[in-house]
Amino acid sequence: MMFALMAGLVMISCTKERVLREPGNLVPKTVDQNPGLPSIFVNGALLHSEAFGDTNGTLVIVIHGGPGSDYRDLMTCKSLASHGYRVVFYDQRGSGLSQRYPASYYTSLGKGAIDLMYDELSGVIAHYRVNANQKLYLIGHSWGGILAAGFTGKYPDKVDGLVVAEPGGLKWEDIESYVKESRSFSLWGEMFNDACFLDQFISGRSDQHEILDYRAGMLGSKNEITGDDKPMPGNAWRAGAVINTAMFEIGNKYQPDFSAGLNQFQLPVLFLYSERNKVYTDEWAHHISAAFKKVQLNKIPAVGHEGIIANSQAWNSNTEPEILQYFSSL
Amino acid sequence: MKKIKLLMLVITILVSGYISNAQTINWGALQDDKRNLLSAGLSLDHSLAYGLSYGRSVKVLTLPVIAVTEIFMPSGDQILDDFKSKIGGQIQWLDYKGFRFSTRIQGVFRRYQNDFVRMLNFGCDFAGVAGFYQSKWFIAAEAGFDKAIVTHFKHSELYRAKYAEAVDGWYEPSTGGNFYYGIQTGFNFKSHGISLKGGYVISQDFKTKPMLPFYASMGYIFNF
Repeated sequence: MMFALMAGLVMISCTKERVLREPGNLVPKTVDQNPGLPSIFVNGALLHSEAFGDTNGTLVIVIHGGPGSDYRDLMTCKSLASHGYRVVFYDQRGSGLSQRYPASYYTSLGKGAIDLMYDELSGVIAHYRVNANQKLYLIGHSWGGILAAGFTGKYPDKVDGLVVAEPGGLKWEDIESYVKESRSFSLWGEMFNDACFLDQFISGRSDQHEILDYRAGMLGSKNEITGDDKPMPGNAWRAGAVINTAMFEIGNKYQPDFSAGLNQFQLPVLFLYSERNKVYTDEWAHHISAAFKKVQLNKIPAVGHEGIIANSQAWNSNTEPEILQYFSSL
Repeated sequence: MKKIKLLMLVITILVSGYISNAQTINWGALQDDKRNLLSAGLSLDHSLAYGLSYGRSVKVLTLPVIAVTEIFMPSGDQILDDFKSKIGGQIQWLDYKGFRFSTRIQGVFRRYQNDFVRMLNFGCDFAGVAGFYQSKWFIAAEAGFDKAIVTHFKHSELYRAKYAEAVDGWYEPSTGGNFYYGIQTGFNFKSHGISLKGGYVISQDFKTKPMLPFYASMGYIFNF
């Protein structure tokens, strides 16, 4: 061991110093650090965003999960552009490749941090809308489904169609319960130990986004409980650790109800859930979807939580056909 | 699988020369004719880990010193993908009517691997321990700092599919560190001992909590 220690120190002394927090070393740069990335400026924040398809087509805004994930694994939805839709992707602030903010930026707003996310979605819609009559459909996955449902409840007249894929819950107690169940890893298991052991190698202060995001990204390769038992190559760009922690802190403190106002939304909602997610049972899907006045439930076979949209085979054979049929029914 | 893992652990220790510890030491139970301490334990310390350690007590000038080497391996399906080993010593500075104060310093070598990355880390763990020690039992408080001084990152193809430009190599200065504080106790009978310890862990910024913000361990010690 002493030999290994000495050899290690000799090797280190001969190599160029690398620093964890240096942008680009371990995680990709964000849009404010790399001007070459596609971006839009919305409500004071620079957001990573792209849009595909006919600019006059019905707007389909794809909303990613997390909070703190990104839209990379939702880009299967891009194929909707070939059906005449204007498909819009964006990374929420603090997430993916969008601009970062300190935790206090969110927590100082209290419950208003959720309005910040609604306002951001409104800003994205306004940015891409080219005429006042352009219809708006929302597709939200996981946390994105919660955000889309909350937005729809707040502005029922602005949304012309809503697809949600496995929102953990819409009332905070349901979200809390779902998150707890979906992360109840065995003490003896590899996943629990992989997650915890890492703390000895890297730790970062609350403003060191590069370190915290890298660390958070290390935890997201797979989850057997939610049916995502095989890592999906290239499924994300960069985790947003700070917004994730901040939004959960806000949720725990203010217990938000994202189902508020949904009784005013008269249109049917397409509610997707996966066959392999052990927590998202038929019973849970019925329980959560009961918040919508009219709802069409569809279970996507042979995939887990992420695979509903990210799995290209499931997307092509099940999810996209269901969505297209739903859109055409509106 | 667990039995295989335990067997692999023993083989690894023997092959690599890691013989191991007695980090939780009853200074009051040390015997001149039994200078070797072999212990095995289970700990919840940044993972659920099996541990083995070997210590040998010696005198440096007039001060009792125990040279210690330890290895910990987290449970899980992957054998040998993660481990932590330590080598160092513990020295008793003060002995006054059963109250004893000692310090511990150990070099640390750790390995971590998941689907995205393999990390190798050299670090340092130092702590102070103070308490009451009798021949049959002891109780003490400890506080220490475990610093990850330099870490080598080697990313997998899976991570490169996520971020192709990730830079591999040694990262310095310090990549992480955690303070810990807690209590330890133990009971001895003849050549055998049982030790227990537990406490809290907080990151070096004194704000961030690790995934497991506490530690606990239980061990069996054999003196020979």
